[in-house]
Amino acid sequence: MKKYILSLFSVASLLFLSSCNNDFDQDVTEIKPTSGEANFSNYIAIGNSLTSGFSNNALYIDGQNESFPSIIAKQLQKAGGGDFIQPMMDDNNGGLLLAGVPIQGTKLYISGFADGSPIIANVEANPTTDITKKITGKLNNFGVPGAKSFHLLAPGYGNIAGVATGQANPYYVRFSSSDTSTVIGDAAAQSPTFYTLWIGNNDVLSYASGGGVGKDQKGNVDPSTYGSEDITDPTVLGASIKGIIDAMVAAGATQGVIANIPDVSAIPYFTTVPYQPLSPTNPAFAPMIPLLNETFGALNQVFAALGVPERSISFANDAASAVVIKDKNLTDIGPQITQALTPILGLQQATLFGLLYGQVRQAKASDFIVLTASSIIGQPNQEALQMLVSLGVPTEQAAQLSINGVTYPLEDKYVLTQKEQEPVNDAVNAYNQIIAQLANQYGLALVDANTMMEELGSQSGLSWNGVNYTAKFVTGGAFSLDGVHLTGRGYAIVANEFIKAMNDKYKSTVTQVNPNDYSGVKFP
Amino acid sequence: MIVNTMKKLFLSVALAASVAVYAGGFRVSLQGVRQLAQAHTSAHTEDASVAFFNPAGISFIPNKLSVVAGGFGINTNFTYQDLSTAQSFVTDNPMGTPIYAAVTYKIIDDLSVGFSFSTPYGSHLIWDDSWSGRDIVQELDLKSFFFIPMISYKLAPWMSVGVSYVHVTGQLDWRRTATALNGKLELSDDKAKGSGFGLGFYFKPSDKVDVSLAYRSTVDVKAENGKAQFSDVSPALYPLLGLDANGADTFTASLPLVEEYSVGITYDLTPRWSVSGDISYYGWGHYKTLQLDFAHAQVGNDPSDPTISTSPKNFKNSTTWRIGTEYKFTDYIAGRLGYYYDESPYSNKNFSPETPSMDQNAITGGLGFRFGSFGVDLAASYVFMQSRKASNSFYNMTGQLKGNAFLFGLGLSYNAF
Repeated sequence: MKKYILSLFSVASLLFLSSCNNDFDQDVTEIKPTSGEANFSNYIAIGNSLTSGFSNNALYIDGQNESFPSIIAKQLQKAGGGDFIQPMMDDNNGGLLLAGVPIQGTKLYISGFADGSPIIANVEANPTTDITKKITGKLNNFGVPGAKSFHLLAPGYGNIAGVATGQANPYYVRFSSSDTSTVIGDAAAQSPTFYTLWIGNNDVLSYASGGGVGKDQKGNVDPSTYGSEDITDPTVLGASIKGIIDAMVAAGATQGVIANIPDVSAIPYFTTVPYQPLSPTNPAFAPMIPLLNETFGALNQVFAALGVPERSISFANDAASAVVIKDKNLTDIGPQITQALTPILGLQQATLFGLLYGQVRQAKASDFIVLTASSIIGQPNQEALQMLVSLGVPTEQAAQLSINGVTYPLEDKYVLTQKEQEPVNDAVNAYNQIIAQLANQYGLALVDANTMMEELGSQSGLSWNGVNYTAKFVTGGAFSLDGVHLTGRGYAIVANEFIKAMNDKYKSTVTQVNPNDYSGVKFP
Repeated sequence: MIVNTMKKLFLSVALAASVAVYAGGFRVSLQGVRQLAQAHTSAHTEDASVAFFNPAGISFIPNKLSVVAGGFGINTNFTYQDLSTAQSFVTDNPMGTPIYAAVTYKIIDDLSVGFSFSTPYGSHLIWDDSWSGRDIVQELDLKSFFFIPMISYKLAPWMSVGVSYVHVTGQLDWRRTATALNGKLELSDDKAKGSGFGLGFYFKPSDKVDVSLAYRSTVDVKAENGKAQFSDVSPALYPLLGLDANGADTFTASLPLVEEYSVGITYDLTPRWSVSGDISYYGWGHYKTLQLDFAHAQVGNDPSDPTISTSPKNFKNSTTWRIGTEYKFTDYIAGRLGYYYDESPYSNKNFSPETPSMDQNAITGGLGFRFGSFGVDLAASYVFMQSRKASNSFYNMTGQLKGNAFLFGLGLSYNAF
C-alpha cells in the first residue's frame, strides 16, 4: 500500500512537471516585426481626405499625426520602414488662407449641449496655413482632401490660379511640384517602394452629402464635364485607379494595399437626423400644430382629389412627425394645386401654395436627412422669407410660411431620398467590383472598408479591447464631428485593417495598434 | 530505500516550501494552514480549521473546545501579451492577505457547534496603466468575509451530519478607464452581502479512514448601493449621461460565489503517516453574465435600456484534484506536502480580464508543531499557472496570459479539554 501511494505521488509529480506549459511559446517583446516579401523602405500614401487625416471637417496637426497612413508608417518603421513625411498644416485649428484671405473654415468642436444635443461650431480662430507657402522636398502622404479618383491624374490640380474657379485643390496647391503637375506624378517622383491607395469615396459621396442635387454621370466618360456633386462614371473611376496603379508600377512600386469604398449610408452624416424630428413635446412647435393641420387640411383635400393622397401632410399631437421635404422626383402638381385652391383661398395664396407644395411630401424612414439639416429644421429660411415678401406676401405670413421642414419644404440638398440613394448604391457596388478586380490583376492587398463600415454601422458595432465603437454620431467614438471623417481611434481601426491586409498578402508581421490609445471626440 | 529517500525529499521540500491555494477566478482556497500544507485537502479533524470545509467535521475534533486562527500572504503575478500589437503588460498586485479563524465546542458528546470566519474569495489586481484591457479593469480589489455558524450531530460514533448558515459581506473597488468618455470609472460598494448554507457528512468508518462529504450553496453577493464615480470626464456630459453634479451615480450588481461539492478522504498508512485526497467540483456555470445596473447613468450596452451594462462571462463548472500527505516525525513535529490541480473555470474565448485565471498546478508543503494544547502550523505553496490564450470576441481581446503565485501561511491552534 505504501509503495503504491508513493508511486502515485511520483507519477503525479512527473505528470505535473512534464505538463508544465507555464511560459509563453514566444515572448512578443522578443519578436521583431518583419516585412516579409514587401519592401517598406519608402511608403507612400495616396488618397483623399481620409488619407490626409482630415477630421472634424478640417485638416490640422493633431489630426494629421493620427492619419491612418501615419499610424501605419510608425508600425512599418519597426519592420524596415523609413521616415514618413506629411504636408503638415501650420496650426491645430485647421482652415486655409489664400494670400491672407480665408478659403477654408476651421475645425468643428462641441461648444456645449442644448436639450441633450451637442452644439457644434467652428473653432473661433483665424487660419494660419496659407496655400501660397509651398512645401517642398521629400513627402510621403499624398492624401488630398476633396479629391476624386480622376483628380489625382489631372494636370493643374495644384495650380493656385485654379483654386478660385474650382479647377484646382487648395490642399494640393500647398505641395504640388508645378502648376501642371499631377498628384500621382508627384507621388511617383518620390520613388515609392510600397503604397496605400484609398480613392473613390468622393466620387459618390459628394452627390450623397449634397442631398442628391448633383447628377449621376454613368455613361459619360468625360470627367471634365462633371459638376462637383456628380457621381463619377464607374469606367472613369476604374481608368483613374488603373492609371494610378500603373504610375506606381512605373515608379517601381509593385506592392501596395488598396481599399474599397464604404457604403455612404452607414455614416452618421446620413443617419443622425431623424426623419421625424418634429416633436409635440417641443414647446416651440406644439402650439403650431392645430393651425398647421388646419392649413394643410385644405391642401390634403387637393392631394386626394388629384390622386396623390400619399403626399398628405399632417402633424400628430402624440408622436413626433416627419419633416416636410421637397422631392424633385415627384411630378410637379403646383399648377393644379393653384387651380384647385383659387376658389377657396383666392388667387394670390393659391399661387403661393402651388409654388411651395408642388413637389412636396413628408419624409419617410427610408429618406436620409443630412447632418447639416439639424441646425436649420424648424428655423425660418431667410431666403424663402425674402422671396415670399418679394412676391407680395405680407411679412407675418411670409414668416409663417418659411419655416424649414414645416411650412417651407426642406430643400433637395438636405435630403437624400430613397430614390436618390439608388444611384449611390449602384455606383458603390460598381466601384468596388472594379477595385477588387484591379487588386487582383495587380496583385495588391485589398482592404474591405465597405464591410468594416458595415460592422461599425451595425447595432453592436466593433469592439477593441473592451471599448465599443459604432457609427453613431458623437457617442460612437469612431466618427468625428463632421459625421463623415474619422477620429484618431477610427483611423487607427482603419490602419489595423490595412496592416492585416498587407500581412496577409506579403507575409509580413507588422504589428497592429490599440485604437484606444488614440484620440476620440473631444467634449467641452 | 526508496521510502527513505522519498522521506528525505519530502522533508527538504517541506522545509523549503509551504502551501497555498488560489483557485478558479477569484476563489482563494486558503482557510486552513494545516490543510493548505496538504494541498488544501479537507478530511482533517485535528482542530477547528475543519469547520470551513465541512460542518459535520467538527463532531470529530478530539477536544471539547478548539480554536484556530491563521493568515496568509499571497503574491500573484500575471503577464498579458497582446498578440496583435506585440505589447506585453504585467500586474503589480499588492500582497493578498486572506485570514481565517474558527472555534468549535462540544455541547454534549454528540452535538457540536462551531463558527468559522474566513475570506475565501478575493483578488487585488493592478494592471499596467497602458494595458490592453484597461477599459475592463485597471484595478480590482475584491474582498469577501464569510461568517459561518454551524451545528453538527453525531448520528453514530462513526458518522456525523452538520449544517451551516453562510453569511457573506463583500467589498468591491473596481477602477477602469472609460475610453469612450475620455475618462475613468470607479465602481465601489463596501456593503455588498449575500447568504447561503452548507451541508456535510463526515465518516470515520475505522481508526484509519476519514471521509468528508460537503456541499456549500451558491451565495449571490449583491451590491445594492454601489457607487459609480466618473472622473476626468467633461462635466458638460454629466447631465447627458445621467450623472449627478459630482459625476457620480449608483448601481446594483450581483456576483455569484458559486456552489461547491467536495469529497475528501484521509487514510492513515501508519500511525505517523497519512495521505489525503480531495475532489472538489465548483458550479461556476452559474456565472453566465456580469450585469451592472446603473440608476441613471447611460453608460450601458443594452439596446433597450442604456443604463444596463452586460458582459457575457459564460464560466463553466470546474474541478480541482488534490493529494496531500502528513508525516509525524515526532509527537510534536509533523511535515506536510501536497499537490493539486485546479481547472480554470472558463475557456479561452471567455477570457475574463478582471478575473485572470489559468489551469494551475501547485505544490504545497508545511510543518506543524505541537506544544501541549497549542499548535503552530506553517505552510507555503507555489502555484504554476499554465499559460493560456485569450481570444474574447465580446471584448475583442486577443492575447496570451501567464502567471504564478507564491503563498505562505501561519496558523495557530488551541485545543482544550
